[in-house]
Amino acid sequence: MGHDTAEWVFVAVVIAILVYVGADSWYTEKLVEDVPADATVIKVTGQQWYWSFEHPNGTKEISTLHLKVNHAYKFEIYSRDVMHSFNIPDWVVFEDAVPGHVNHAWFAPNQVGTYPIQCREYCGLLHYNMRGTLVVEPDSKT
Amino acid sequence: MKTLIAISIIVLVAIALVPQIAHAQLAQQTAPEKYLDLRATVWNEFFRMTTAAFTVGAVVSGTMIWLVWRFRESNPKNKAPTRWEHLDDPAAGDPEEGH
Repeated sequence: MGHDTAEWVFVAVVIAILVYVGADSWYTEKLVEDVPADATVIKVTGQQWYWSFEHPNGTKEISTLHLKVNHAYKFEIYSRDVMHSFNIPDWVVFEDAVPGHVNHAWFAPNQVGTYPIQCREYCGLLHYNMRGTLVVEPDSKT
Repeated sequence: MKTLIAISIIVLVAIALVPQIAHAQLAQQTAPEKYLDLRATVWNEFFRMTTAAFTVGAVVSGTMIWLVWRFRESNPKNKAPTRWEHLDDPAAGDPEEGH
């Protein structure tokens, strides 16, 4: 085996791994961005320094969001003043709230419980306290 | 050397394929969820990418370590210059003249 062979094997192995990285990331991103058609839309608005939520039936909540387990939810994320970032760490929901722009995120909680919501973009003096609570409740229909 | 490269490739392929096969078998045994589990999907992707990154790191740094070890001056294999090493070096003089 000459030098060339070893070098080409080395190059091929690295390229193969990088191709795998690209293909797998692309496929996973497609999976993650595919919002279920039956997802309920929740309007999320960030403003200094709290979160407000609006359900499709017009019900509004401040800082605490009540959702049903095993349902899909699509968040429409707005900001009234400066940049915020809507984050539910336990459910890997993490999207910026940008003034004049609507961002989207979705998730489907499959465990009942209480989870923290927090702002992840420095947005002023009380940014540290711009927290909320997600309450995932059992679905009475099931 | 050939054997080493062959073993390395087999190990790499095994590292990439075994978890995928195990995951596929597990998915067949359990009932499919109605919705995608984002947490599991994102964290699985993170660990797969970490494995790939460390594998690339190991291949590249391993090659460099081997290169430095193999071509060090004190390696007995390097006593005779290779055919790539007959370079023009004014300080070394002309080997034909016996300097």
